[in-house]
Amino acid sequence: MSKVQGIVRTDSWLETKALARSAGLPMIALAAVLLSQPAVSAPAKGSTPAAAPAVSRDYLEVPMPPGFRVEISELEGPVFADEKGRTLYSWPARLLRNGFAGEQKGTPRCYDEVLKETAGLMSPYPPGVLLPELDKRPSCTDLWPPVLAPEGAEKVGKWSIIERKDGTKQWAYDEEPLYTSVLDRQPGDVLGGTSRRHRGDSPVIRVPVSPPPLVPPGFAVTTTVNGRLLTTDRNYSVYTPEDPSACDAACLQRWKPVLAPQTAKPHGDWTMVTPSPGVRQWAFRNQPLYTREGETQLWSLEGSDEPGWRNVYVQTVRPRPASFTIQDTLAGQVLADSRGMTIYTYVCGDDSLHQLSCEHPMDTQVYRLAVCGAGSVEQCLRNWPYVKAEPGAKSDSRLWSVMSIDPMTGHIAQPGQSGAISVWAYRDRPVYTYIGDLQPGDVNGAGTGEWRGQRNGLKAFWVRDDYFGGTL
Amino acid sequence: MCNVSRSFRPGLSAALVTTALLVGAGASAGDATSAPPPPPGGTVGYALTDLFWSVYQTPNGKEECPKGFNDGPREQYAKLFPGGRKVNVVESQLKLEGQTWWPSPGPDLSEFHAVQGKYSYGLNLDGKVGPNDFTHPDGTPGIDNGVYRAVGCIIGFRGPDGVEVIFQNKAITSDTFNRTIIELNGVDSWEKDDDVTVTIFRGRDRLLTDATGNKVLPGGTQRIDTRWGKKLIQQVKGKIEGGVLTTEPTRQMIIPWQNLSVPSFQLIRDMRLVLKVSPTHAQGLLAGYADIDTWYRQLIRNDSTHHLSNGQISGISLYKALRRFADAYPDPKTGENTAISTALDAKFTQVFIQHPDGDAAKAELISSLKSQQAARVATAQPRQQRQ
Repeated sequence: MSKVQGIVRTDSWLETKALARSAGLPMIALAAVLLSQPAVSAPAKGSTPAAAPAVSRDYLEVPMPPGFRVEISELEGPVFADEKGRTLYSWPARLLRNGFAGEQKGTPRCYDEVLKETAGLMSPYPPGVLLPELDKRPSCTDLWPPVLAPEGAEKVGKWSIIERKDGTKQWAYDEEPLYTSVLDRQPGDVLGGTSRRHRGDSPVIRVPVSPPPLVPPGFAVTTTVNGRLLTTDRNYSVYTPEDPSACDAACLQRWKPVLAPQTAKPHGDWTMVTPSPGVRQWAFRNQPLYTREGETQLWSLEGSDEPGWRNVYVQTVRPRPASFTIQDTLAGQVLADSRGMTIYTYVCGDDSLHQLSCEHPMDTQVYRLAVCGAGSVEQCLRNWPYVKAEPGAKSDSRLWSVMSIDPMTGHIAQPGQSGAISVWAYRDRPVYTYIGDLQPGDVNGAGTGEWRGQRNGLKAFWVRDDYFGGTL
Repeated sequence: MCNVSRSFRPGLSAALVTTALLVGAGASAGDATSAPPPPPGGTVGYALTDLFWSVYQTPNGKEECPKGFNDGPREQYAKLFPGGRKVNVVESQLKLEGQTWWPSPGPDLSEFHAVQGKYSYGLNLDGKVGPNDFTHPDGTPGIDNGVYRAVGCIIGFRGPDGVEVIFQNKAITSDTFNRTIIELNGVDSWEKDDDVTVTIFRGRDRLLTDATGNKVLPGGTQRIDTRWGKKLIQQVKGKIEGGVLTTEPTRQMIIPWQNLSVPSFQLIRDMRLVLKVSPTHAQGLLAGYADIDTWYRQLIRNDSTHHLSNGQISGISLYKALRRFADAYPDPKTGENTAISTALDAKFTQVFIQHPDGDAAKAELISSLKSQQAARVATAQPRQQRQ
């Protein structure tokens, strides 16, 4: 049972899902369970690929201790989970403006102490300021229960056991202490954190722990808002033509085949094609792979503007709610509501050593109220209105849900509560529009809040950016 | 006026602001046999490489800031919450952040020091000489520059090392989002031409630099951004006299200007360019009336309170000052001015502008130019939402 800002929930809901796969598989190096499916690609306009497979088991199977397994999440792909299917997270240390937060390898720093003061990790505000709502403030372990190891548990592969300061044993992966999140409700949920790229001034977030992707050397997979993007290991996008035989000599002036070494062998979805004698080119799910000549942006989607060419995704997210639209802006494309108004997400982490979230409706709302309306609920509702869900609205994507919110508190409404409103939420957090956006394509609210919107503020929901260097 | 410190204005000040003198000298310069031939086809392109708010300054601000420089967030916080007093994050940090994001014209947190001096760079935008106007260092009266009056005694806006002077300017060069390019057509002479067409675009490419990466070299190529930057495209007429290009005022110019990955812009109404032009460079002023809320939001969206603190820039105080010195575009309902006169030091380097290929692409470009005339102004913050 966990206490989160006065809300009590049990873990019983986690047990409703049968365990999908057995745990404790022995190591089978480079012998993953692969589903044969066509390469997934995003259309040039950046919208969510329609009817794209949202499950891909393309990961490298690694040895796991008994009781653990891999779940396939919609955004993050394969993630390690405990026996109840709860996603496992680590909290890697990162340098903030005035010091480190997070955990050094092998050293848990998340305990049940309720911190009362700011740490002064972010300039210009000093440390020692009282944190808000101390009577309801959770401890770190209230939100992030450690994954404890039973007596007799033994190290397996990268899985090891570390000792907490209270003497209990905690599982670690690659020496990173492991936790679950009280936000995750069912197997495959990754609501507590994300592996998506974030800027240096954002909170030190928790990161889902995943098995390595099953890709040959020279490739990488990056989690983006659209899905898991296949790139080179230098993060340049790879592309594939809709007609694999269409790349003639002129085409090769602009598109460079990704060559496979002579020692490479086909494996699962990864094969080789021979466009010319002696030339071996990588193909993924039977589609030859290219990079784009002259590409300057990392994780770029620009190549998909070329007719007949597409980015390659290992896995894509499911279609977003039908009422949403995609709009062009000065910097790329954003997700927008049915009127074309840009949608924003709210990001918040507090300035405590525990870097606790303040962005979820179950968290304190004082941070959000400060930046959306100088502390005024009414101003916030006017300046940053919730994106209301139409009656009966549903989402095929687990990333999107309809949430009942008490607009006067910003917290989740009680069942049947008078005045509650149904709003769209992304990863369990409500989304907003901005009163300062006057027409479709405006992103005038982007970067509102502390640290350019990265720490206690609002970020536009980019589905494609051509200028930020891969913040997807 | 004496001891004017201009060393931080890299190569700009001497040539760009004394428009009258330049124009006056034009006749003789035009007669020189060494004058370069007109550009091939009468066309030359330039990319914007330097842009910062024009600030006239004397050493230590003795002349224009006799009361000293303004407090920034750190100084204001220290005065509001002196050491030893235990405060809550809501009543301190969050209250100040709330006021930063939703500023009001009420009482200030500390005494604000506006520019007191007589002189300013800039242009006489309204053609009048009023009591609030500055005099140009060259003696030209009627200079309108309300932004200078507000920021001139804030060290972050002063050269050579003010945080805004360094970083916002640096972003102009380093960030492709900010790649404003202009093309001059119909240039028959570098010295005198009564009919020049100036087209403003956004480029898509990095700038050509020397080996240090810091000095932009002429001769680079820029493709036109006809997709994301379509609404930035516009044309304006101008003329060259004495080697100085002066454009007619455009209704507005959107200057894409992000510093730290927040896609923001400045909106300058009645924008006009006054640039000394040559085959390799153009430098001078970009002036007009800045939409105040857009101006302010561009600043605070790119620079957090931390960054502003490094320049002793209190957003809360600065916004109030901008409102006080606003001098144009009154709100039809309240009568309150919504824009403020300003001038920016601008420097351009020659580039070859690569136009989209094909008739369809050209037609689309022309179409976008026409539609631009009817485009709606999108400020970053509608006035009616302020508290």
